[in-house]
Amino acid sequence: MQAWLDSLIARGAFGPHPSPDLIYGAAIAIACALVLFLVAVPFASIVTWVERRVWARIQSRIGPNRVGPNGFLQWLADGFKHICKEDVVPAEADAPLFRLAPYLVVLAFILPWAVMPFASSLILADLNIGILYITAVPALTVIGILMAGWASNNKWSLIGGIRSAAQIISYEIPAGLAIFPVVLMTGTLSMQGIIRAQGWAPDRWFLFANPFCFVAAVILFISGLAENNRTPFDLPEAESELVAGFATEYSSMRYLFFFMAEWGNMFIAAAIVVTLFLGGWQFPAIVQSPRLMNLLQLATFMLKCLFLVFVSMWIRGTLPRVRIDQMMSLCWKYFVPISFINLLGTAVWVAIFPDGNRFTQWLMLSFGVAVVLLFLARVVAFTRRARMELYFHPTI
Amino acid sequence: MAIGVVTVKRPPERWSSSQPYFAILKGLGVSIRHFLHNLLLFARGQQDFTVHFPEQRLVQPPAMRGMPVLVQMDNGKERCVACGMCEWACPTNCISIFPAETNDEVERYPEVFDIDMSRCMFCGFCEEACPEEAIVMSRQIEIASYSRRGSLWHKQDLLVPVAELKTRLDHLRRQYEH
Repeated sequence: MQAWLDSLIARGAFGPHPSPDLIYGAAIAIACALVLFLVAVPFASIVTWVERRVWARIQSRIGPNRVGPNGFLQWLADGFKHICKEDVVPAEADAPLFRLAPYLVVLAFILPWAVMPFASSLILADLNIGILYITAVPALTVIGILMAGWASNNKWSLIGGIRSAAQIISYEIPAGLAIFPVVLMTGTLSMQGIIRAQGWAPDRWFLFANPFCFVAAVILFISGLAENNRTPFDLPEAESELVAGFATEYSSMRYLFFFMAEWGNMFIAAAIVVTLFLGGWQFPAIVQSPRLMNLLQLATFMLKCLFLVFVSMWIRGTLPRVRIDQMMSLCWKYFVPISFINLLGTAVWVAIFPDGNRFTQWLMLSFGVAVVLLFLARVVAFTRRARMELYFHPTI
Repeated sequence: MAIGVVTVKRPPERWSSSQPYFAILKGLGVSIRHFLHNLLLFARGQQDFTVHFPEQRLVQPPAMRGMPVLVQMDNGKERCVACGMCEWACPTNCISIFPAETNDEVERYPEVFDIDMSRCMFCGFCEEACPEEAIVMSRQIEIASYSRRGSLWHKQDLLVPVAELKTRLDHLRRQYEH
């Protein structure tokens, strides 16, 4: 992008004596806004429709099917409805904080898109501390949610906010520690650098690089679920106990902001796992044109991310909510020690095999493929056996 | 032993079903099975349990208690003789009747017969109380209105020809035979 701007400046597109810094700043601001409006917000909204349809299939229902073809425009209708509603601020609430909180949550959801590595040259800012940034910035969510819970002046909101703060702060630790094995192996914190260190073939992914990385990927994904308040860790907004948790008193756009951030964060968590462990945008170089190559890479990255988003929907359609003590013990008693062991193990592994071990990679890959195939075989077998049970007649 | 005890033979518990992590995987397997199965059959249009309400409607069984209506005889008049039994039986006092005289064979008829549907709770006591089979519960359930006034149903709106209520009347007679 800088090269393109330089060529524009050289051609005199911005007047006789342009200041490059100002132009770069303005261009990056505009690019961020474009990404925000063209990718992040519609994505987070469309995912709501996808998620509702996926749950509907899991539960043998239809799901939203009225607005647009197969209900595809449901997200627009929902958004429009929320915008049209009255924005209520409770009389006893702390109004300035109450109004500010959703913006912080949305900010935390928007900022990571700046370092999202969509393709080899499709990235807003390839920061050299990209992965640190992408784990640090979403922690703003805690402030927003705690602020929402406190400012609502409502017991449910407060409990929801405090649960969320406890949960996010706890799970930041295993999530952060699960990132370090990859940083140890690549020696870089840049998102693009980490992806370039992997290959397009699964055996070159860091997921299968060594056993510690595999465990780290699982821990990172589960911590991502917990940080985004996803089922089975959706305690902050547990409907059956806390009405809507920290969002109880919210209405209209502000309520929409919370949920947009939640669904958008799902993609961000998936993107972190894809970048670190699943080879990011890596795609075999089958075409010469860099533009076409970038498109293919973008498609690869999006497909991998959407698969992980689907897995998180799948988990949400399956598992019940865990108790708060189970959630905390899972984090502090299991994930944190396991992450530390992973870190040490990876350090030793890197010291022994500085360039990786091909045999382990193939072994891990075949093990992973075997597990997936076994799982699918069981599913298919059960489907065959259970086919007759699935039919029933709804009418009398 | 006073009561007979039946020992149910349970299948032996497997090791895998006592492990929580296997249980999670098993649950994931069940849900993905339903997902794939439904995805396939929904795409083929074979499996669709849902009734798409405004386009498709289920035919309700005769025992269903919908909105109470007045039976209209073949000569276009109501069967009701304005005895007031239903008004008396109604737990929510949603029926109001004003009787009047005519020169017909049946000398009494309701000049006003109003049912406030916003108060009706579809208990069917009016139907049970009625000595003339003049008020019966219909299958009609779509009685939403845009105003409170719209939920007040007058005699002319409540009259339904006897032919349309045949299944419900047959059902009632069957019930009282026993």
